[in-house]
Amino acid sequence: MDDIILTLKDVSLESEDFESLHNISFSLRKGDNIVFFGPENSGLDIIFPGILRFVDNFEGDILYKGESIREFDYIEIMNYRKDVGYLHTDHGLIANMSVEQNISLPLQYHSKMSSREIKEFVNSLISDLNLDYCKKFRPVDLTSSEILRTSYCRAIALDPDILLVEHAFERQSPLNIMSFYNSLKKRILSPHKSVLFITFEPEKFVGLADNYIMLFNGRVVFMGNSYDFLHSENEYLVQYKNMSVQGPMAIL
Amino acid sequence: MSRENNIAVYTGRKVIGFWKGIKNFVDFIISIIHSFQSFKYLRFRSIYDIIINQTRFTGIHALPFVVFIALLIGGTVIIQSMTQFPKFGIEGFIGNLLVIIIVREIGPLATAMIVISRSGSAITAEIATQKQNRELLSLETMGIDTKLYIVFPRIIASIISIFSLMIIFDSVAFFGGYLISQLTVYIPVDVFIRTLLDAFSIEDFIATILKSLIYGILIPLLCCYYGFMPGSRFEIPIYVSRAVIRTLSIIFVINALLSALFYL
Repeated sequence: MDDIILTLKDVSLESEDFESLHNISFSLRKGDNIVFFGPENSGLDIIFPGILRFVDNFEGDILYKGESIREFDYIEIMNYRKDVGYLHTDHGLIANMSVEQNISLPLQYHSKMSSREIKEFVNSLISDLNLDYCKKFRPVDLTSSEILRTSYCRAIALDPDILLVEHAFERQSPLNIMSFYNSLKKRILSPHKSVLFITFEPEKFVGLADNYIMLFNGRVVFMGNSYDFLHSENEYLVQYKNMSVQGPMAIL
Repeated sequence: MSRENNIAVYTGRKVIGFWKGIKNFVDFIISIIHSFQSFKYLRFRSIYDIIINQTRFTGIHALPFVVFIALLIGGTVIIQSMTQFPKFGIEGFIGNLLVIIIVREIGPLATAMIVISRSGSAITAEIATQKQNRELLSLETMGIDTKLYIVFPRIIASIISIFSLMIIFDSVAFFGGYLISQLTVYIPVDVFIRTLLDAFSIEDFIATILKSLIYGILIPLLCCYYGFMPGSRFEIPIYVSRAVIRTLSIIFVINALLSALFYL
């Protein structure tokens, strides 16, 4: 029980652009990795903002290390967000900062490390992710894989217990994101770190993720481990895997 | 619908819109005050670069333009007063006129106008673009207090820049203007300096500090407020224009109020 770090209990919420979640429940144990997938407008886009309490009006409860995030005050909510790394689809790198400065930012703001220690640590991350040649570049000069790798470095700079990763492998050349994949794999295999993924391509996570949750119209329509994902006869899952328009999901 | 009803509906809408605008701005200020809760967690090194860059842009880069405008205004005022005052036999009050017009009114207003049109519009556009590019969201997801991280350094930089620019504006307007005026009229430099010093009062100095402080807080505050407003990319120019016009209007009103407070 102690190793559960995140729990969603019957969470229902609606975003400003009317995407919604209905009665979502799951628990995340330390070291577990979950893949969320489903078609467009199935609620995937608001599950992470919901977990990070960017949507305030929600029903049910979200517990982080046993404490309800609903009860968090102004400072606690910021500390909570600091503890959860978020690699979102748009990346949001600061346009007037270089790769190096972008990665340093959370450390400069939060950590007690000296500026020299931060520089050394950031350089080691940059080196791990093969970004040395472009560390002085600004986001406008980066390719999509360089942007992804920089955002990833920034998201893990504070070594969060939970990392939220949105559509990371989509629209990327596998060759250019090898270093990202290897670093992420190390994190996935760590017994102390958890990663939650949002993707349209769940099959890419076979062998990496422990659990799979499929959403449709804001509801969970399939939940299971890798074996279930590969062998279940769940009609939603089958329709999704077969990319078929025939099935319980009406796809527009 | 009758014409009277149309007018009533139009006026009602405008009043409600105005009221909502004030309420939203007050809410924004409250949220900034609220964000000071996290001030003790803020490490100065993370905002140091923003303060330096903003001061460089608002203060140093605006310097040539401020000097140019100050020279023209100073020269014009001195030439006008030197040619017109003797006709009325009040040439002994030239120093008072210069202090009243340049130090008390034109200096602070012209500086504020230059800062609003250069830096105010840039602040609004920058924040609005950051919001649309989800840079603000990334800051929030990193547990960074966006209000504190974005607004606070800009206020510090604006206070420093506006105070410095006002002092430079006044000095250049007096001495540069004096030099320009020598092309048309002759005033001995010692007479010029003495009349200026006689006309200066401690109130003028306090008013300059107070105005730079108030403008230094209000200009970035209003421009940041409008920067956070756009809901989509196409709204960015609308809010940039709104930020400039409304900040200018508010600064004119504040300037009139402060002058009334100090000198009435």
